[in-house]
Amino acid sequence: MPLRQRVFHNLLPMLHVLGMIIGVFGLSMLFPLLISELTGDGASHAFEEATLITLGTGALLWLIGHHWKRELKVRDGILLVVLTWLLTPLFAALPLLDYLQGMSFTDAYFESMSGLTTTGATVLSGLDNLPPTINLWRTQLHWLGGMGVIVLVVAVLPLLGIGGRQMFKSETPGPMKDDKLTPRMAETAKGLWVVYLLLTLALIAIYAFLGMSLMDALIHSFSVMGLGGFSSYDASFGHFDSVPLEIATVVFAMLAGINFAMHFLAWRGRSLKPYLLDPELRWFFGIVLASCLVLALMLWQSNFYLDFPTALRYATFNVISIATTLGLANTDFGQWPLFTGLWMLFLCSFTTSAGSTGGGIKMMRAVLLYKQIHRELNLLIHPRARIPIRLGTQWVPDKILYAVLAYFFMYVSSIVLLSFILSFSGLDVLTAFSAIVACINNTGPGLGQVGPSTTYAVLTDLQTWICTFAMLLGRLELFTLLVVLTPAFWRK
Amino acid sequence: MLRRFFPILHVQGMIILVFGLSMCVPLLLAELTRDGAQHAYDVAAMITVGSGMLLWLVGRHWRRELKTRDGILLVVSTWTLLPGFAALPLIIYMPELSLADAYFEAMSGLTATGATVLSGLDDLPNSINLWRAQLHWLGGLGVIVLVTAVLPLLGVGGRQMYKAEIPTPMKDQKLTPRMAETAKGLWVVYIILTTLCIGVLWALGMSFFDAVVHGFSVMSLGGFSSHDASLGYFNSLQLEIAVAVFALIAGVNFATHFAFLRGRRLSYYFKDPELRWFLGLVLTSGVVLALLLWQRDVFLDFPSALRYAMFNTISIATTLGFATTDYGHWPFFAGLWLLFLCSFSTGAGSTGGGIKMMRAILLYKQVYRELKKLIHPNAQIPLRLGNDIVPNKVVYAVLAFLFIYVASIVSLSFVLSFTGLDVLTSFSAIVACINNTGPGLGQVGPATTYAVLSDFQVSVCTFAMLLGRLELFTLLVVLTPAFWRR
Repeated sequence: MPLRQRVFHNLLPMLHVLGMIIGVFGLSMLFPLLISELTGDGASHAFEEATLITLGTGALLWLIGHHWKRELKVRDGILLVVLTWLLTPLFAALPLLDYLQGMSFTDAYFESMSGLTTTGATVLSGLDNLPPTINLWRTQLHWLGGMGVIVLVVAVLPLLGIGGRQMFKSETPGPMKDDKLTPRMAETAKGLWVVYLLLTLALIAIYAFLGMSLMDALIHSFSVMGLGGFSSYDASFGHFDSVPLEIATVVFAMLAGINFAMHFLAWRGRSLKPYLLDPELRWFFGIVLASCLVLALMLWQSNFYLDFPTALRYATFNVISIATTLGLANTDFGQWPLFTGLWMLFLCSFTTSAGSTGGGIKMMRAVLLYKQIHRELNLLIHPRARIPIRLGTQWVPDKILYAVLAYFFMYVSSIVLLSFILSFSGLDVLTAFSAIVACINNTGPGLGQVGPSTTYAVLTDLQTWICTFAMLLGRLELFTLLVVLTPAFWRK
Repeated sequence: MLRRFFPILHVQGMIILVFGLSMCVPLLLAELTRDGAQHAYDVAAMITVGSGMLLWLVGRHWRRELKTRDGILLVVSTWTLLPGFAALPLIIYMPELSLADAYFEAMSGLTATGATVLSGLDDLPNSINLWRAQLHWLGGLGVIVLVTAVLPLLGVGGRQMYKAEIPTPMKDQKLTPRMAETAKGLWVVYIILTTLCIGVLWALGMSFFDAVVHGFSVMSLGGFSSHDASLGYFNSLQLEIAVAVFALIAGVNFATHFAFLRGRRLSYYFKDPELRWFLGLVLTSGVVLALLLWQRDVFLDFPSALRYAMFNTISIATTLGFATTDYGHWPFFAGLWLLFLCSFSTGAGSTGGGIKMMRAILLYKQVYRELKKLIHPNAQIPLRLGNDIVPNKVVYAVLAFLFIYVASIVSLSFVLSFTGLDVLTSFSAIVACINNTGPGLGQVGPATTYAVLSDFQVSVCTFAMLLGRLELFTLLVVLTPAFWRR
């Protein structure tokens, strides 16, 4: 079969499911539409048109795809994930394009990709003057993206065995005998979504209690729980300038950075034990909190802040926000000594846990990499020794370690390669490198020209597309996207 | 802990003794030309030969066949002690030089890095410049033994892979006989090529002294020159072409050269799986950068763009580190690309630095295999290099090597950036040092030296050079507690 036919043939079985996903996504637009109608903020026509188009397309795909409906296999699963993450930003961009007439398609797609991948990098400024529902829609994308990520990382990717993800199979509740995707996905996802929903509701209530308006509470809770980073203010979280609100944000960002399966287990068993047994948690908390303290001391000592409490406040908020890949800022940390900015970017590339809404290579992989190196060194001394690697109470099979090592190599090559492209297109090193790191880790603000006080609007169309690609690459854990780009994938 | 050192003292003493004897070359030159550095060599040679003799005598009691762990320790202690002795003539002649700087300079020499803290090279006595280049050359000799004989036996970072290429029987597990046999053949190649290089440079118009200094520097892919302007001093196209060609030759696995010289068939070069990638990548980069520089009006005509782009690309990519112009002023992308190339282009048995082309190819193939495995989860897909099937163990060792390499660059750059250097300088200094290249970008660019760094920063760079030269694991394993346990 010629390539075009093969591609077509591969796409048919998933049209049905894809139509359903797009349909449900269209339904979710009713939420901002309703609020817009009620408050009359002027964006209602944008949401009307977008909802109609999205629902219509979804229904059409669903009807057409009905003919080819069959049980999905592994390869269909990969393709479905990639297509979903490529197409939904398209529909998500519709309200933005409709309302903001001057916005280019490139920017709108970037913005909605940044929303759905929970990155939080924005090309928009003057957020304070946008209709509240547009801002709500942006962060709702974060929240929906967070839901999608939870399904992706706890249910889909482990089955596909991407980058050592098999490791996390055993932690999720539910039988594992079945090789078919759908029943398992549904079961696992349901439990975790309930946790996600409950935590979000709790944060909304806390924000409202601490004095935020309901709309702001909604917007920022969506942003925090998805570990996204969009805000309804240009000054980001600095707008509120309130310590209690910052503390609430920091606590919930840490919670969202923990494996949701742990929350689920703790909630079901009504005990804190799962947290204590989690091999990632202690590293996550240890590294992030130690960094907060050290950076606070550094900022204080270099007289950037004159008293230690202020230094601690700003260091803590921004370090936790960036390390968890949230990306809200309450001050322009681009002005801090360069070392601090680099250190924060470094943290965001590995601190969040494997079943969380955060980005980066995940703490699990970092811990395994560290242990693997330790083993390699021991093997040099005792060449014939068999040294097993343990994580928590489990033995880690070699296969997983090697997948993790390969994953790390891909991750580094992607960063190097994409930074080179940005630097070739004329950006300075710091901007090019930090933009790619911030995007591939789904963090948001970088350094230099894309620092916390600026936006990604300075980039050219090509550069924006590269960043869009980086966000998608990071969110789909590299291999999911890359495998679709190989010819072997499309062969029979 | 101290016990671990006893069995190697004997060999260590011998190595230091021979190294001390090699100081007679610059000593002789200094005596003959009366350039004012004679006393420096007198004292240094005496101390070195004396320490070597002492160790040799003391170590005789504990003499026994060396095992793997002794081999690792011997390599590490040789590469940390020799720079100490090598620094003696520099310190004695230039008392104002700090200890950290002198050790850095000597380490940069012996690891064939070529990063320098000295300026005003043109005014230094000839014998001092000769000594610096001679360190490169001796370091190159050491590296050849290291990478073709010692490391494969130790199995460092997938080095087992190269065992098969070395034409000797492999039954013996003892270190010494095998080392000697392999090294001998490759040293002959190295000496022949060096002689040839010196001859060509001399014939093309260099003074004999300059030809020797630069011949040593080129064949070991070091980068020290006897002029502040580096090779730009000569401003001669023929010399640049000759240096570029010999740098490319030195970047090829010496085992391939050896096979060629013995069999007199060019087919060995075609069979070398690294060579095509090495040449292809370096030459393509040279042409593309030339186009870029021409198009951005850095050079007004294409021939001169090609000349400068080609020379500097080859020089940096092979980890030689000569410069004919200040490429720090080229568009930023160019400098970064050069640093990128130097981290993996050279061949596995060459005198170059970086992770080596062999590992880069294996990494690339492994990723392709991982992608295929996603589509066919149960397939057994062998990984081939040339005609060989690469065992999984080697592939995984290479992956682990890459992780340590990246982790070292990131953490050492953080250390430098923490001490107050800007990002570009700290990152490029670490990359240039760990790859044993020499010039970086920013404050340590080709037009400047490492003298701007503080003593602490210089020591971090010294560590990076040693780490890169000893292929990371050799040095790191000595730093683990497990190494010192029984």
